[in-house]
Amino acid sequence: MSRDETVFVVDDDQAMRGSLKWLIESVGMRVETFDSAPAFLDAYYPGRAGCLLLDVRMPGMSGLELQDYLGRRELRIPVIIITGHGDVAMAVKAMKAGAVDFIEKPFDDEQLLNSIRKALQFDEQQRRLRARKADIAARLAELTPREHEVMAMVTDGKSNKEIAAALNVSAKTVEVHRARVMDKMRADSLAELVRLALIAGGE
Amino acid sequence: MKLPRLSVKPTLFHLLRRLPMPVIAILIGLVAGLAVWVVLDQVQSRAVERIFGRELSMRLDLRARESLIRFDQYMTNYAATTRLLANHRRLAQYLEPLFWFPGEEVDPIVYDEFRPFWLPDFFGRNALLAPSHVLLVDSRGQVREVYQAGDAPLPPELQGNVAQWLGAGDDMQTVLARFGDRPYLVVSDQVEDAGGYTMGSLLVVVPVDADFLTASEGSFSADRSAVALVDADEQRILASNEPQRLMPGTALSEWTDTYLVTSQSLPAYEGSNWNMLFTTFIPQQIVAKMSGKVVDFERNQRLIAALVFIAVFTLVIYLVSARLNKVLKRMTRFSQRALGIEQPGFQRGGNQLVLLEEWMQHFTSLVLRAREEMRRKHEHEMRETEALKAAIMEASLDSIVTLNRAGSVIDYNPTAERTLGFDRQTIIGTDFVRAHVSPTHRAIFVGLLQESNRRGNLGERPHARTELEAIRADGQVFPIEVSIVPIELDNERVYTLYIHDITKRKETEREIKGLARFASESPSPILRVNGAARIVYANAASQPLIAAWQTRLGGPLPERWCGQVRRALQDGGTYEEDDDLGATIYSLLFVPIQELGYVNIYARDITAVRRAEQESRQHQAELVHVCRLSTMGEVATGMAHELNQPLSAIVNYANGASRRLKSGSGDNETLVDAMTHISGQARRAGEIIKRLRALVGKQQPIRSVVDLNYLVREVCGFVEFETAKLEMQIEQRLWAEPIPVDVDLVQIEQVLLNLVRNALDALEECPVGGRSLVISTRRTDGRAMVGVRDNGPGIPAERMDQLFDPFFTTKESGMGMGLPISLTILEDHQGTIRAESELGVGTLFHVELPVAVSEAVAGQQGAPEAQPVTAEAPVRTERRMAEGMHG
Repeated sequence: MSRDETVFVVDDDQAMRGSLKWLIESVGMRVETFDSAPAFLDAYYPGRAGCLLLDVRMPGMSGLELQDYLGRRELRIPVIIITGHGDVAMAVKAMKAGAVDFIEKPFDDEQLLNSIRKALQFDEQQRRLRARKADIAARLAELTPREHEVMAMVTDGKSNKEIAAALNVSAKTVEVHRARVMDKMRADSLAELVRLALIAGGE
Repeated sequence: MKLPRLSVKPTLFHLLRRLPMPVIAILIGLVAGLAVWVVLDQVQSRAVERIFGRELSMRLDLRARESLIRFDQYMTNYAATTRLLANHRRLAQYLEPLFWFPGEEVDPIVYDEFRPFWLPDFFGRNALLAPSHVLLVDSRGQVREVYQAGDAPLPPELQGNVAQWLGAGDDMQTVLARFGDRPYLVVSDQVEDAGGYTMGSLLVVVPVDADFLTASEGSFSADRSAVALVDADEQRILASNEPQRLMPGTALSEWTDTYLVTSQSLPAYEGSNWNMLFTTFIPQQIVAKMSGKVVDFERNQRLIAALVFIAVFTLVIYLVSARLNKVLKRMTRFSQRALGIEQPGFQRGGNQLVLLEEWMQHFTSLVLRAREEMRRKHEHEMRETEALKAAIMEASLDSIVTLNRAGSVIDYNPTAERTLGFDRQTIIGTDFVRAHVSPTHRAIFVGLLQESNRRGNLGERPHARTELEAIRADGQVFPIEVSIVPIELDNERVYTLYIHDITKRKETEREIKGLARFASESPSPILRVNGAARIVYANAASQPLIAAWQTRLGGPLPERWCGQVRRALQDGGTYEEDDDLGATIYSLLFVPIQELGYVNIYARDITAVRRAEQESRQHQAELVHVCRLSTMGEVATGMAHELNQPLSAIVNYANGASRRLKSGSGDNETLVDAMTHISGQARRAGEIIKRLRALVGKQQPIRSVVDLNYLVREVCGFVEFETAKLEMQIEQRLWAEPIPVDVDLVQIEQVLLNLVRNALDALEECPVGGRSLVISTRRTDGRAMVGVRDNGPGIPAERMDQLFDPFFTTKESGMGMGLPISLTILEDHQGTIRAESELGVGTLFHVELPVAVSEAVAGQQGAPEAQPVTAEAPVRTERRMAEGMHG
């Protein structure tokens, strides 16, 4: 768990904010608290590692609205929803909107901390995946249009000859393109090329 | 001959109709003026010409005569000059030595180179033309010396003997002579020598030529008139002053066309050898011009006269037509108003005279028709009136009987037949009094008859009227009311009797008398008091009440009710009041009879009713509690949510602390800090619970004086959670001073809470940000007021009436008891509640309570739960209340 991961707490109740900070800091995590959704949006910038602990009931912009806002902005910070007693319907809504977990007040400290840990892990994975995707995208950008075509056919499982016939070139030429694709994509084998193509194509 | 007349006349008539009067006036004026002018022109022109001709010839004569006179004068001048010469000293001296032998034939001495000594230049001096010859002649007529001025030779007639040209004796002679074709002026005078010896004569010969004539006329021929000498026999010009125009030798007749010729004889010059005329020529064109000027002037005058005539004539006709127009209008109005003729046949425009004539015909026929119509209408009305009268007589509910002066019946209507029982035929002619008036009332009837006489005719004064007993044909006696109207008819007075059977009315009166017993028989007390609040009537049932009031019939009302009596009498209103006499409670209804100055008091024993009411109020208190519980349930749910906050915080702080302790990472200071937080949150939870308890607890209503503002703040505190949920805040507009009210704190809080919750429910339908809830407090003299205003959707007008009915609700979950209970609670507190609402604008609930008599807000032992719990800076009154409680 890296040190620059931060747990963001957004709650309008001063006591809740203070007590959450107190609790989470007791396991050595970094905590930043905000009394409203706009205050959080002011301080947060995309790409910050961490997770968001969000009270659903807040005056002004509610927790669900903030979650919705983040989703539309593609700000992919994992969200844990804190609900009061009986707000189950709202919690379900939050989960559907992509929250990683919801916790009912008053809550068990272990449960909360586990949830936070899980969220941070998820965040790290996501970030790593996004980084890899970006790397592959950069490599793909180096390919010429013809090489793109060849790569698409290769990863579709077509033989050199089939590609040559489709592109109306000689098999030798296809061979050359293919070698260049493997080189530019830094793939050691056809299997790896296919994996890269899948990562790049998948969300 | 017939046809054209038929066709022309209508056309002319039509034209006359169409043309307005002034136009016709102008036309007639023009035509008349023209005609006058034409006739006058002829007559006057001729007359003028004649007069002017006469005048002209007179003037011309005058001028000719003047010319002649001038000519004559000129010749006289020659004569005078000749005399001067003849008698001149020089000539006398010259002749002194000379002697002319008579009969001696000698040639005359001729001077043609120079002027002889005896001839001084007198002619030039006297502005006379120089003579052509001057001759000296001896007494026999023999020419002795000749002076010749020009080239012209001496005419042969003057050579030799000239005796015929000499005057007789010493007379001067002036002669116009004709020598050859030319006229000459020959002037002779006797000459003597210095010794006075008559030597002969001096003869001056002057040719009468153009120059002579011109000189004779001087400068007077400016108007181009000319003069000439004419031979009377030959009618030929011998000499003229303008030889270029009037050539000598031409005949006079040649010039009569171009000139006006006036010839005069020259009578003064007898002895002439021929007959000569002095002729004046005046050019015709000058004459024509002069006469033309006069004629033009005259014509202009006539034209102006004609124009003035036309104008005056037209004006007069126009004025007449305008007057006619007015008359027509007035007649139109008259006919419309007085005779009701809508279309009098008169239109504007056109010839008023013709129109007037037409209108007269039309109008006459209309008047005749209108008169006919009026007559018919009148007859119709008469018939109608007759019919109506007959109908009235027939249908009248009263018996109508007409009597003559003697009292006999002359008319008897069908009702009378029915009521009085006699047949019309039978009764007519009989004496009414004997037939119908009961013997005991006959005197009254006769008196009434006389009274009616005194009162006179219809409509002037009320008719004489009385009640008496009448007898029917069958002898039955019954009461009637009779009124008598005397009617004056052509010297005869008749009486119309209106007889009304009042048997029924008498019965009704008896009934009413019977009704009056109701009051006395009533089991409830009924009293009547006068304006001075003295009891003037009391029925039997009011005895206990009067006893309890410690008064009597005729005595005064208790002091406390006197005001009520006065009030009722003053405004005419009915008042109901309770009078608690301990054992019994009476309801007193004060009903004023203003016109009589009485107040009726209807009392009712309502002891049982009041007892029942008290019981019902107890039940209601129970109900209030039940309802409050249900309200509490809703509030409690919200509070449970609220409770979660401090509890969660506490758990978090505690867990955080224990982790730190376990791991040994927390220092003491931070741990203590966390503990402080924990206790703070625990207190917060405790306060929430306290508020809950304050709501739920069932208490006997306990009145205490509290500040209304404090109640409002409390209630706002209860719903903080809900307002936060709605993302809004309640706006409190509270009276600056505390408003003391003597109330059951919990009940009034419940009323307010109910109103606030209703408002919040309503606001749920509004968009976030647009929700507004205002609670205001106010104080006027004796009333404390709370207003709860929201901007929710409002209440439809048709529901406003039912608002305070039990079990009326618009909510899905709700008993519909909130407002009815609020109403009950407020009525218990002598308060009121009312609602105002407008769809789409919002609703205002307005609560009024009496202000506590004692201003002291402190010392409320009865409401320990009312301790202010709001953490936000308590205002002065709240602090005072808190102190009061702790003390």
